[in-house]
Amino acid sequence: MTLKFLVVDDSLTMRRIVANSLKNLGYENFVEAVDGSDALNKLAADSTINFIITDWNMPGLSGLDLLKAIRSNEKLKKLPVLMVTTRGVKEDIVDAMTAGVNNYVIKPFTPQVLKEKINQILETYNR
Amino acid sequence: MGSKNIVQVFNKLDDLKLVFNYGQKIIPIIQNLIDFMRETVPLLENINNSISESTSKIPKASHKINDVTHATELATTEILDMVDNISGEISKLEKTYDGKFNEMKSIFTAEELEGAKESIKKIKDYSNNITLSLQVQDITAQQLAAVNHLIESVQKKLGELINDIEDADLDKIDRMNLELDEKITFDPNASYIKKDDHQKVADMIMDSNNLSSQEEVDKLFCK
Repeated sequence: MTLKFLVVDDSLTMRRIVANSLKNLGYENFVEAVDGSDALNKLAADSTINFIITDWNMPGLSGLDLLKAIRSNEKLKKLPVLMVTTRGVKEDIVDAMTAGVNNYVIKPFTPQVLKEKINQILETYNR
Repeated sequence: MGSKNIVQVFNKLDDLKLVFNYGQKIIPIIQNLIDFMRETVPLLENINNSISESTSKIPKASHKINDVTHATELATTEILDMVDNISGEISKLEKTYDGKFNEMKSIFTAEELEGAKESIKKIKDYSNNITLSLQVQDITAQQLAAVNHLIESVQKKLGELINDIEDADLDKIDRMNLELDEKITFDPNASYIKKDDHQKVADMIMDSNNLSSQEEVDKLFCK
């Protein structure tokens, strides 16, 4: 399966860092979105996107709202979602998990952690 | 007028005398109170002016913070561009090295060639590490946004205080409204800590797929 990532973050710096990390991991196919609403538009316009990496704190539709919107959409609900965020308190992680996040990376992250979480998600989906 | 009435008049006069005596005692106290208020009013005005002045400076401080965030984002983007350029050049060098490996074997020793390859790998790793360290910009931006939020709260409270003192001079308060950058959202607890403790906690929770409540999570962490 060819992976096409959607990298969602309001910070240009973080979008570039995640994109660079993906390139270093050998994933060249990705698009970017600046917030949750932009991400939903991109998902509606491009059905080949099959992996979402999203930040939590974003203006308008947050990462958690985006996750909930994805999980409640028949067409999108099975898409893997990896949350990459500064929010490291237990309550937040539980909220994300309850909303249906597939895995959770806390910033600042290393490429190893990103790779590990992407692989864990892919393993679950390939089972 | 009978003697009884005269006695009543004298009694009333005695009461009046007592009132005058009491008045004589109380007048200096009232005078002191007036003097005190006379001295206090300028002090209150000073306090009011100081609060007004401080409040009027808050939007400036807030804008400065936003400027810092934008400047650091710009600088970070420039650094990322430079790191990308370095990585691109290194990749070219690596290709050349791999392509001319056999030719170089006759010029350099195996040790030297291995050392060069190791150096190329290290430069690539360092470049990647620079990129990752720049996550600090996003985290700092969130911390600054949290400070801005705090400043906004202080500004609102000071505004209310000035309203109370100046009997609702709303026009003046409106002029001091903050124009916060609504595009900035933040995590008040954001921190640039390169420890994997937080990630471990996240992993533990994520691994416990059956956990669905805070209570269960707390049990997991023996709270």
